[in-house]
Amino acid sequence: MAEVAPGKLNPAQVQELCSIVGKEHVISAEQELLVYECDAYTLEKNLPGVVVLPNNTVEVAAVVQFAAKHNLPIIPRGAGTSLSGTVLAVTGGVMIGLTRMNRILNIDYQNRRAFVEAGCVNAWVTNAVKTQGLLFAPDPSSQSACTIGGNVATNSGGPHTLKYGVTTNHILGLEIVLPDGQVVWLGTEADGGEDVDGYDLRGAVIGCEGMFGVVTRVLVRLIRAPQAYKTMLGVFETVDHASQTVSDIIAAGIVPGALEMMDKLITQAVEAAYHFGFPLDAGAVLIIELDGLAAGLDAQADQVIGICRKNRAREVRSANTDQERADLWKSRKRAFGAIGRLSPNFITQDGVVPRSKLPEMMQFVQKCSAEFGLRIPNVFHAGDGNIHPLILYDEREPDQVRRALKASDAILQKCIDLGGSVTGEHGIGVEKIDFMGRQFSKDDLDAMRMLRKVFDPESRCNPHKMFPGSKRCADFAPRKQIAA
Amino acid sequence: MILKPANVEELQRALVDASAARSRIEQVDLSSLGRVVEYRPEDMTVTVEAGALLSDLQAHLKQSGQWLPIDPPFPEQTTIGRLLCENLSGPRRFGYGTIRDYLIGLSAVLADGRLVKGGGKVVKNVAGYDLQKLFVGSHGSLGVIVGATFKVLPLPATERILQFECKSPDHSASMIQQILSRPMTPAVLDLQNVTGVCTLVVAFAGTADEVDWQIAESKRLGISEGATLDYNRSFWAAQPLPFRRSVLPSKLSEVLKELGDVQFVARAGNGTIYYRGGTRTAPSRVPMELTKRLKATFDPNGIFPELPL
Repeated sequence: MAEVAPGKLNPAQVQELCSIVGKEHVISAEQELLVYECDAYTLEKNLPGVVVLPNNTVEVAAVVQFAAKHNLPIIPRGAGTSLSGTVLAVTGGVMIGLTRMNRILNIDYQNRRAFVEAGCVNAWVTNAVKTQGLLFAPDPSSQSACTIGGNVATNSGGPHTLKYGVTTNHILGLEIVLPDGQVVWLGTEADGGEDVDGYDLRGAVIGCEGMFGVVTRVLVRLIRAPQAYKTMLGVFETVDHASQTVSDIIAAGIVPGALEMMDKLITQAVEAAYHFGFPLDAGAVLIIELDGLAAGLDAQADQVIGICRKNRAREVRSANTDQERADLWKSRKRAFGAIGRLSPNFITQDGVVPRSKLPEMMQFVQKCSAEFGLRIPNVFHAGDGNIHPLILYDEREPDQVRRALKASDAILQKCIDLGGSVTGEHGIGVEKIDFMGRQFSKDDLDAMRMLRKVFDPESRCNPHKMFPGSKRCADFAPRKQIAA
Repeated sequence: MILKPANVEELQRALVDASAARSRIEQVDLSSLGRVVEYRPEDMTVTVEAGALLSDLQAHLKQSGQWLPIDPPFPEQTTIGRLLCENLSGPRRFGYGTIRDYLIGLSAVLADGRLVKGGGKVVKNVAGYDLQKLFVGSHGSLGVIVGATFKVLPLPATERILQFECKSPDHSASMIQQILSRPMTPAVLDLQNVTGVCTLVVAFAGTADEVDWQIAESKRLGISEGATLDYNRSFWAAQPLPFRRSVLPSKLSEVLKELGDVQFVARAGNGTIYYRGGTRTAPSRVPMELTKRLKATFDPNGIFPELPL
């Protein structure tokens, strides 16, 4: 693999980009580039050489061709909400921001599809179609900011993936600008039938973390919004009881729309921030949402309440109105935001374990908290076995940083040991590179490298991500030294 | 060359030899790889070897009240490997999706003999690329699938199937539209003329309450005659093999008229028509350069079959 050129641009190159997208859509002053030095993963930072904000596919292709000609890295970027450093410009280069390409191009209600630009915000899609009883199922907590293109890159999930699946289950087709500047359409065409011939290249691109090219337009599947919801809040004395309830609900053959857990620490923080009315002394709460046809939903809810009671739930509340349901979900989805009240910094992990291993995993997290002397609140997709321990630390205390990284490592290793994965939805990015060699064999990783080469023979698109041995940010080493 | 390896290691060695000799492998018989490797009902996941028959897997899952909700017409003749390679599906596709929606992990032996895996055993996992998607519908052109992990679902408590004879394709279109505009959630929404008459077939699955309510709704539309899904078996048992045409669901009746006098089974909710008679539909637009590069990267010596296009 040829070493890519150092990712800085000279004034003539910046000028060339200005001529493609317009001067006002090129950011090259260091002061302004600071916004783009990282995403929501802030442990590593580096400035891109330049940021361009194209307005359409033709402009994206021209920018990509420019980068190919000058052998510069390209880094596609949506809203920058990645939690794993997926859009970090590790060695500078041309960052391509899709935020101006945020239009909904067409909605086909009859065939339940929406055709959108990659920079379209996730929540805008559902907002646009909900009056017709439809919705776009993937609902990450960042959905009011994150983009469809970003969802495609990371194969995003959200609370409702338990029943409805993740992004890949809801993307029919997509347009991608390959790193050589070619524009290709993969999967179902906007006005074509669902089934297409050939390989599922669309499926290969979804979850590639922006390493195969720049996705510019996306055809998404819309689903019928459930006729009815039954949203409940189960209040438990201990995390163990709540975990067992999750297992028992699944074992009873019930697939809720969502099944989310918040432990005591996070419930207290959320309550302090949003005043939903969560109990402050409960060991854990479960948000259990059943959805589907109204017929029989109450009976199923009774069954769930019975399971909660069997596991000694203190009480089970029901959201009685749409507003109550919305408030409950707002509290859950803003939980990360409430952490600021507890700690100046935190590391979020999103490992996955088989559902039945959840009680064991949660006990391990508590053990880590005690062992490393750090508070670790938990708010997560319990039904999927997808944990989100939030390891609290203060970056001004080097020893805390070191302990936080160690706790994080121990928790993810435990996920692997229990037959799970180090990431259920946030992605590898730069953050979890070191775990790839633990979760996958050398041959597995080689097969992934082969696939990358098919799309990007020069490894120039979003380089230094995913694979062990990748180059780290210059800014990371000193911090690590402090931590060590 | 036809391979019949006793185990994965033997297959690996055979592929190394075939690659060295650049000899084409026509078929791989995986009948000795037919075990259910790991099944945890409480996790709703199952890992199975690729030579296992779908019907055997379903029987295994059924003991715990679960199933893999993919229903090609002849599960007793369909191995898991073939199900994946040919991306097979059946009438319940409208309600449950296709095999890619349930595939969470895959093991395959590549042309150079290396055993590789993509995904894993948990229902949500974005570590690494989604390698397993490449193999779905790959017709064995990239490697030999030896095992797979699926998420599975609880078997529905009840399923009821109804049919309705349509006077014309337009009539069927208006019926389909009426069904889709109501809050019903059919598991099957088929249109077929295998039985001699253009017939709309719907199935509802779920709790008894859900199914009863939808049956009542259907009756209000005049759909009340009980039915089976047997037309699938008789259609696919006959020769020659049907052609496939995939269209926007809203264009289904228009395209059926265009196809003229053919025997067909249509997944009306998905817009996929299988038909016998008439002419073959031209393949959809395929990104040839990427396709060729993918094939050349994974099978540089051309030992596996070409992707049929």
